[in-house]
Amino acid sequence: MTHGFFTDTTLCIGCKACEIACKQWNQLPADGYKLSSFSYDNTLALSSTTWRHVAFVERSRSTDGTGKAVNWLMMSDVCKHCTHAGCMEACPTGAIVRNEFGDVYVQPDICNGCGYCVPSCPFGVIGRNHDTGLAAKCTLCYDRQKDGIEPACAKACPTDSIFFGELGELHEKAKQRVKTLHERGETGAYLYGVDEDTSVGDLNAFFLLTDRPSVYNLPEKPQLPQEHIVPGFVASLIAAIFLTLATAISLGGRRK
Amino acid sequence: MTRIYRSTEATETSTAARIEQGGPSAGRGITWVGRAESYYGLPLIKKAHWGWQIILYFFLGGIAGGSFLVATLADLLKLDDNHNLIRAGRYLSFVCILASPILLILDLGRPERFHHMLRVLKLRSAMSLGSWGLSFFGMCCGVTTAYQAAHDGLLDWFPLLVRLMKAVPVKAVEALGAIGGLFVASYTGVLLSSTAVPVWARARHILGPLFLTSGVSTALASLSFILSLGRNNQRTLEKMERAEMVAMSTELGMLAALPRVLGPLRKPLFTGRAGALFGVGTIGSGVVLPLLVHLGYKLVRRSIPRGLNVGLDLLVLIGGLILRYTWIVAGRTSADDPKAVHYYNEIEWNGRHH
Repeated sequence: MTHGFFTDTTLCIGCKACEIACKQWNQLPADGYKLSSFSYDNTLALSSTTWRHVAFVERSRSTDGTGKAVNWLMMSDVCKHCTHAGCMEACPTGAIVRNEFGDVYVQPDICNGCGYCVPSCPFGVIGRNHDTGLAAKCTLCYDRQKDGIEPACAKACPTDSIFFGELGELHEKAKQRVKTLHERGETGAYLYGVDEDTSVGDLNAFFLLTDRPSVYNLPEKPQLPQEHIVPGFVASLIAAIFLTLATAISLGGRRK
Repeated sequence: MTRIYRSTEATETSTAARIEQGGPSAGRGITWVGRAESYYGLPLIKKAHWGWQIILYFFLGGIAGGSFLVATLADLLKLDDNHNLIRAGRYLSFVCILASPILLILDLGRPERFHHMLRVLKLRSAMSLGSWGLSFFGMCCGVTTAYQAAHDGLLDWFPLLVRLMKAVPVKAVEALGAIGGLFVASYTGVLLSSTAVPVWARARHILGPLFLTSGVSTALASLSFILSLGRNNQRTLEKMERAEMVAMSTELGMLAALPRVLGPLRKPLFTGRAGALFGVGTIGSGVVLPLLVHLGYKLVRRSIPRGLNVGLDLLVLIGGLILRYTWIVAGRTSADDPKAVHYYNEIEWNGRHH
């Protein structure tokens, strides 16, 4: 049974309890006391030591030119645990696997820190830790799931903006929520990562958003990088045949 | 059914406008139109950490593959009069391939776990394929080099190995190794282009062939450099000059195609300090200048002076190193630019579906 997250951004109040709960449970080090100076978001991005990140879209006016006042948007970002995960396919050691709960999981005893997963993630989630030398990201609290309890972030979320559960149930719940929001007049609400038609596929950690994905620093139509393996090697093969023949002919030349 | 959604009825060009085909409860078919927004201009994807070790490996791997190919062709087709080219090619590929795993292991976060690379073989991971390819090619290099060393009398202190090596079917090893060498010289480009980094990913049809071609031209340049230091190689050098010109012309063609293929994504490759270095060091003095000088001497039907040839070989080598450097640096800039990432996703999506 595949489990995942449904993160409903309309319920997020930006308290960052998920960030803290994640750091505590997973014993991740603090990232220093740097202030971004342009936002309440001082975390700024997911990293090898930050597996939940609350984004703050601080706009006072709507961007559609009507001058309508809008609420700030807050969104607790996390690893998407993609159906077709770029990091997992890139991993040359087989350290990144899909575990029995359907999560994309980095085995810390296998990873050798090659770092190839890092640019292979179309969402910019996974990072390489300087101290341990290992790639790291959200495990969907694999250890807690084994004991039958929900991940730390979902447990800590005071508004149930982060909801953990079986994927089918989550989808149903999320679609119901979108319907409710539409009835209440929030017509911009939609699901990001459900019934997707991209090469990355559906996201086991999906989101309810009210503005276009790029507003939250999410890719619109992300692409699976490994789609380029075949065209790249085919092109290389053609070049290899050409160069071999051309070099052979040039080195041969006129016989005397 | 296609509906166009707008957040308000008032503006036609709203950035929040979207075309939807599956209903609002699903992501399917939501195609966002208008310019993508940005989150404080922060990067959307993460850049690779790769530094000098990887740049140098890309360079040396190309030379190793290229020189093995040249030595193999010279041996199999009996193109070498005095065996100097074959000897130089075998030793050079061995030296370069010997340095490669050291550089790669240095780059790992956990160097002591380097052997985990050979735990599994994954056909969809360019790095996994590369690890196996490099191991196979490295073994072929080892065998042909030991064979050469045995014939050169370098292994006389170990008679058993000499007897063993003289019994090796070297032509078969060379043929297989040449395929491995071509793979090692080109997979590094495929490795870069199968990431989410816009400038690398968009150049997927060029990057592998470009790295391979540069590998062959830098291999020919280093072999020509080595043979220039010896005597009685004039005929071989003249043949190699032709091969070099073919490789460099191919390289120039690929470089010329880049601006068109990359569109606006070419910026980190062709502008700024990295762009200037690329333009002057790789395209200018690494490809165009040597090509023109060689062409000039061909046109007046005179053979190129040895000193000039050595100088041009060095320029080609430096150009090849700068080529790997600028692609790595351009990848960092490109990954850090969220606009490039959104633009890349958009054109790829449109290219597939319209």
